[in-house]
Amino acid sequence: MKEIDFKHKMAAHCETGTVTALLNHSGLEITEPMVFGISSGIFFGYFESSNFSFPTFIVRNKPGSIRDNISKRLGIKFETLKFKDHGKGEQTLNDLIRKDIPTAAQVDFYYMEYMPEYQRVHINVHFINVIGMNETSYLISDSYYPKKSELTKQTLNKARFAGGFMEPKGFLFYPTHIPEVIDYEKAIIKGIKKASYNMLKLPVPFIGIKGMRKFGKKVKEWPKIARDIDHLSHEIMRINILLEDQGTGGGGFRYLYATFLQQAAGMLNDNRLKDLSKQMMEIGDNWRNISYFAAKIGKNRDLGPDRLNELSEMILARADEEQKFFGELAKAVK
Amino acid sequence: MKEKDLYIDFKSQQSVYYVEKDDESYGPVLSGSQLAKNYLDDFYEKRLKQEKALREQLKKGEISPIYYYTIMQEYGEGDLASRAGVSLKKLRKHYKMENFIKLKLTQLKKYAEAFDIPLVKMFSLMLTRQENTGKFTVEYSETANSYFVVAKIEAVKE
Repeated sequence: MKEIDFKHKMAAHCETGTVTALLNHSGLEITEPMVFGISSGIFFGYFESSNFSFPTFIVRNKPGSIRDNISKRLGIKFETLKFKDHGKGEQTLNDLIRKDIPTAAQVDFYYMEYMPEYQRVHINVHFINVIGMNETSYLISDSYYPKKSELTKQTLNKARFAGGFMEPKGFLFYPTHIPEVIDYEKAIIKGIKKASYNMLKLPVPFIGIKGMRKFGKKVKEWPKIARDIDHLSHEIMRINILLEDQGTGGGGFRYLYATFLQQAAGMLNDNRLKDLSKQMMEIGDNWRNISYFAAKIGKNRDLGPDRLNELSEMILARADEEQKFFGELAKAVK
Repeated sequence: MKEKDLYIDFKSQQSVYYVEKDDESYGPVLSGSQLAKNYLDDFYEKRLKQEKALREQLKKGEISPIYYYTIMQEYGEGDLASRAGVSLKKLRKHYKMENFIKLKLTQLKKYAEAFDIPLVKMFSLMLTRQENTGKFTVEYSETANSYFVVAKIEAVKE
């Protein structure tokens, strides 16, 4: 097995983890929370779409935005490649590995065979780093998995060229230029401003605070669309997965964002950001309480109107809390 | 979340969480999943129940294998339709056996690829003679003929 000298490290989230690891490998010392914050990763959106098996919510910005925003705000250049031809896509990846270039790939998470079977679902926006290969397999650094793992070439090709919603089209990327001097202050402020705008002002009824309120109201209607009580229980318990286990760092990315704000406060010597980081940590705790509550009522099949009203109220309270928080955050960087 | 309040001892599923440490700094720690540690049995119980119910429907011809795998793999219908190269309306038609049997082999193969299963699994289900007795694995090897696979069955020693 040809293996690139690459430090495998677990991370909270796949895209921030992949980008951070590639930047660290290229010599830039930057943390995962800083990548997340500068790229305005924090987000909220409630979706009812046929592309999902059930209504769902997301707590981070659009896949791909982490890399795009880091690139724009830090002046880092990435080579990005998409392919129509599967063979060319495989050949290009092989050539990059032969040149000792660790390369990020966008894949369908379902094919990550080293992950527990119960976690594997079809979702085309997982990111991994490919860091080695032999005749039959690739060596993978997946920030969700404790150690380096192998995938057969056939499996990785399926994962890279899975069709469907947000199909990867063999997408690959790797950094090609990192500026010698980076203006972190400007990047942090830009990242915070954009995140606050997304949460408070994006004129879309299911995004940001408006999305949280929609989620809070709509969750009470979930019994009407679930197939049966077990299905409803499964979907309610998935709230916990989406907030905690699906690569968020806990509390729906709020702990990761609190860490970014604390690091930013230190770099900018700004006590307002330090206070806000503490507030964000508490907001994360409140989201985590929702996770625990959802898991408990789901497990007990305690899913009558009273309990769903309680869940709804907890979500709506988070919307009020975050509306106030992001208003203060926007003012702090004005 | 304080570090001491987070830690969950569950080695099979470890993730990175960000917490407040003793010195009030925030940073990453590795912990097990609270949900997986406490509720994984419930997940499997529901899944098994659902699988059995769908299997019965399938045996009675009330649903097609496409519906069976769509539900079992938690596919978004729009996503699956796109992967199989059909419209949402057609996909929903293919949930019924009366329409499933009219499908061309090439179309069925696209569905099988989306489900990452060999085509043969659209027409059969392999179970042990007695429930929960003995385990086995079935490995399907592709051949140069993309419509023909070789299945190798192996008993798993416990």
